[in-house]
Amino acid sequence: MIEATQPSNSPPVVTKMINPAALELYRQELQSRQDPDAPVVIVCCGTGCQAAGSVEVVDKFKEVLTGTGWSGKVVPMIKPTGCHGFCSRGPLVIIQPQDLFYQRVTVDDVEDIVNKTILNNEVIKKLQYKPANSKEVIPKAGDIPYYAKQTRLVLKNIGKVDPTEINDSILHGSYSALAKALTRMTPEQVIDEVANSKLRGRGGAGFPTGLKWESCAKQEGTRFVICNADEGDPGAFMDRSLLEGDPHSVLEGMAICAYAVGSNRGYMYVRAEYPLAVKTLTSAIRQAEALGLLGENIMGTGFDFKVTISTGAGAFICGESSALMASLEGKVGRPRPKYIRSVEKGFRDSPSNLNNVETYANIPDIVNRGGDWYKSYGTERSAGTKVFALTGNVYNIGLVEVPMGISLMEIVYGIGGGVPNKRALKGVQTGGPSGGCIPIPHKIPDINVGYGKLAEAGSIMGSGGMIVMDEDTCMIEVSRYFVNFLVEESCGQCTPCREGLIRMREILNRITQGEGREGDVELLDEIGRFTNNFSLCGLGTSAANPVLSTIRYFREEYDAHIRDKKCPAGVCKPLFHYEIDPETCTGCGLCKSKCPVKAIAGEKKKTHVIDQSLCIKCMECYKNCKFRSVKIM
Amino acid sequence: MKVLNIVLNGKAVTAKAGQTILELARENGVFIPTLCDSPALEAAAMCRLCTVQVIEGKWPKFVTACNFPLRRDAEVVTDSPEVRHGRKLIIELLMARCPTSPELQRLAADYNCDLERFSPLNDDCVVCGLCTRACEAVTGRTLSLAGRGTAIHVDTAFQKASTFCIGCGACVQICPVKKIAMEDVDGERRIILHGKIASRVQLPKCTSCGKYFGPVIDLKQVMERMGEHLIPPPNAAVCPDCSRRNLALKLGKRYFEQYGVFEDEGQADAG
Amino acid sequence: MSGTACACRENCNEIEIEIDYNLLDRIIRDDYGGNKEAMIMMMQAIQRVYRFLPEAAVKYLSQVIEVPLTKIYEVATFYASFSLEPKGKYILSVCTGTACHLRGSGGMVEHISKRMGITPGRTTPDMKLTLETVNCVGACAVAPVVVIDEKYYPKADIATLNDFMDRLNAE
Repeated sequence: MIEATQPSNSPPVVTKMINPAALELYRQELQSRQDPDAPVVIVCCGTGCQAAGSVEVVDKFKEVLTGTGWSGKVVPMIKPTGCHGFCSRGPLVIIQPQDLFYQRVTVDDVEDIVNKTILNNEVIKKLQYKPANSKEVIPKAGDIPYYAKQTRLVLKNIGKVDPTEINDSILHGSYSALAKALTRMTPEQVIDEVANSKLRGRGGAGFPTGLKWESCAKQEGTRFVICNADEGDPGAFMDRSLLEGDPHSVLEGMAICAYAVGSNRGYMYVRAEYPLAVKTLTSAIRQAEALGLLGENIMGTGFDFKVTISTGAGAFICGESSALMASLEGKVGRPRPKYIRSVEKGFRDSPSNLNNVETYANIPDIVNRGGDWYKSYGTERSAGTKVFALTGNVYNIGLVEVPMGISLMEIVYGIGGGVPNKRALKGVQTGGPSGGCIPIPHKIPDINVGYGKLAEAGSIMGSGGMIVMDEDTCMIEVSRYFVNFLVEESCGQCTPCREGLIRMREILNRITQGEGREGDVELLDEIGRFTNNFSLCGLGTSAANPVLSTIRYFREEYDAHIRDKKCPAGVCKPLFHYEIDPETCTGCGLCKSKCPVKAIAGEKKKTHVIDQSLCIKCMECYKNCKFRSVKIM
Repeated sequence: MKVLNIVLNGKAVTAKAGQTILELARENGVFIPTLCDSPALEAAAMCRLCTVQVIEGKWPKFVTACNFPLRRDAEVVTDSPEVRHGRKLIIELLMARCPTSPELQRLAADYNCDLERFSPLNDDCVVCGLCTRACEAVTGRTLSLAGRGTAIHVDTAFQKASTFCIGCGACVQICPVKKIAMEDVDGERRIILHGKIASRVQLPKCTSCGKYFGPVIDLKQVMERMGEHLIPPPNAAVCPDCSRRNLALKLGKRYFEQYGVFEDEGQADAG
Repeated sequence: MSGTACACRENCNEIEIEIDYNLLDRIIRDDYGGNKEAMIMMMQAIQRVYRFLPEAAVKYLSQVIEVPLTKIYEVATFYASFSLEPKGKYILSVCTGTACHLRGSGGMVEHISKRMGITPGRTTPDMKLTLETVNCVGACAVAPVVVIDEKYYPKADIATLNDFMDRLNAE
């Protein structure tokens, strides 16, 4: 925050922007007060880093830098930012202007960083980043392959701006696109530019954004602009990161949309499980309204746009647009059984334009730089970039933004750093609970990530969840997990989804318990196709995807469970046991020491043996054996 | 009114724009099975039994006949093998919920259902939502679809016997599997749902014959909702039977007494 | 906030809670203008005060905003974040998002369930602990995550949980 750390150089006195030119003058004024050589300490305060202790690190920095011991000339600015996306290395600290990247920083490291790095320009080796399987450290944030191989358009400000301080966002160009749209473009031109960019909805279905705006603009009467921030896919957190890290890009995108479709009321439906995002957004809206960038008579142009935050109450189905709108009206979020689009009759039965967070966040740059610029990224049918939440069995867990059409192997290996613990890659699950597993590299060598290609492979883009699965993942158990999730999260109103899911879970439960029967796979397939064809809403018509895609690609695993009563991955406990291979066991004793139930016996340097009657199959011996001598049988 | 050309099961017919497939089918004598549809209520498309295939462009898609509005020329197939197969599954799945329902048993026979495939999950309800929608249309104060996810079920607030119910019995009447009961016991009307008392409504005692009779307490409110507030509510102190009898007696007295033929109630009833 | 077992009827496990109707009025009328559309937010605000939705408070809400009680009950049972049962002194949420699941969060839920004798969503009889599961808190990099009273415990394991439960039992 500028005023907190640079008391001698307070920001300009602020009144409302009376016209769009005032915004640019204000930005220049802020710029002139920046000292390019002043040290800046950036601390990532996304949920991942906060979970790892970054708030305490910020507090410690404040304590040390404002204490009497500080002897530097310029007081460094401490900038807590939104999620940088490299969550597996958090808490992250970046020292500017050197661009020094420190990872896994604890409170105890703070004094060292101040005394050595900031005061004496000395690098602290132990905090530097070393890629997996490499001995060379990479000192600068910009050189880390995880970042260098990404194309950060929508995430460009995240990790650079302080999301709690609007001045910092304005310095980085926020609201300049809104100013441009309001003064130099007609609503039709804005829609044309968005249509020209070929941006498609980033929430899952991939509907062309320009087309949606155009249909909404054609309607009569009061129109609403709604932002779907009910990010419910387990394992996806790109929307959270945007809301926490760069809230103004989303708000600006919504305001531009409102101008284009002729609305002056916006609603933001945020998941209540994201308290930090709600807090950041609330403050961002207040600050933008104070500057006349949102609210009434925006930048003196006569255009009004008021945004209200509404918090969800924990229902995955509310990500479905008609369910979300019902929930906004204070009702139960069950999808509407009407064959009518929400751009015609949505919230309060009025025309409503609903897009997701990432879609709106893409808008300001499309307006500023043009649709041609945007579609120069990505492919013909899937333009631009997409943010993925890369998680699971991969070294670098976090958010990655890449151009559409990129190879999935490149995401997993080039950016993600590959699969840890010398395990083999078995597949990548995309699209969350309604998605499917792509069996790279063994059954499909690779795939270019785009809407069409993923659908061909039996999965979906979804909101961008990407879960890497290694050879120790049981695909039947993964299907069971997703089906179980949907059993709880379906709205339950229509028969195929409700009863179909209950039966699929019943069958998958018995297969993973070792009680699968001949014909179960065929029955799963039959119910799955039926559920996908006969259900009422988008959740139901994709609910069986995890089951159908694993049957398609991992049929032999189902057969092993049902016929041989074996779980080849060693996950379903009734269907496997561990044995130590006498050929390769060196008798190192590590497994014996790790076993929590003392089920392993053996003398040093002699083959160890597992007592099956004691073993609880907790995986400790299997995970820890350096020679892979513990075998799944 | 725009007229559409529809090919319904291979036969050329015309439809009014906005008409649902179900309405069109009924007009043309084509039977489509339904469970959760009632002409008195807005379609909810929950049971999905009326699913048919419609081709408006290139590809056939599955839609529910009860609420799919025809907006342009199209081809509709109401009984394709795919449609029949889906319906068969719906019935099999619902039979596991409610095996004693004659309506479902009849459908199961029509669609050659295999009733061994799914183990019973008997809870005597097919969650068609008709009772809750009927309740909402009358007062909206007693029944709703409570519960998370697939545990959705018909319930009263806090699972307690409702004190807001007016005992109209619409839920009992409309239930397609006939699993909601109503009984008048000890001066109160009870709605029995899932074997539990879902509501208790005090019945008025007839001041004339002394019997308890159907609740009329809120009839005034119901009439107001129906826009018939001009009709005076019936006398709440006397049961409809007595009320009719008293009226007959009064009329009989007025018109027949002069001829000397009016002697007692029995004759008035016969006349 | 203290609660005592309700003595109204047999088999009644309700907790008697003193309801502050002035506070409810402030939430319903002042903060949200008595607007039906804001009902879910009002319910969230009421739940923040009592840590659950007391029946009496829900009834009062029903009267003020003129939404039938059964409709509020429908909403309260539909959304995962509402509880109609009082919560314990501590709330332990285990993230069961995909990343956490793959790293054994299911086993952790099982472990707590077994040791404390409660299934997810329920509270121990001594009202000390409520066990919950949450679909994804978005901290997948540090999976599995456990949240105890809004504090995140990254890379949690059975030992973390045992520590917590030991302290709880010692209290």
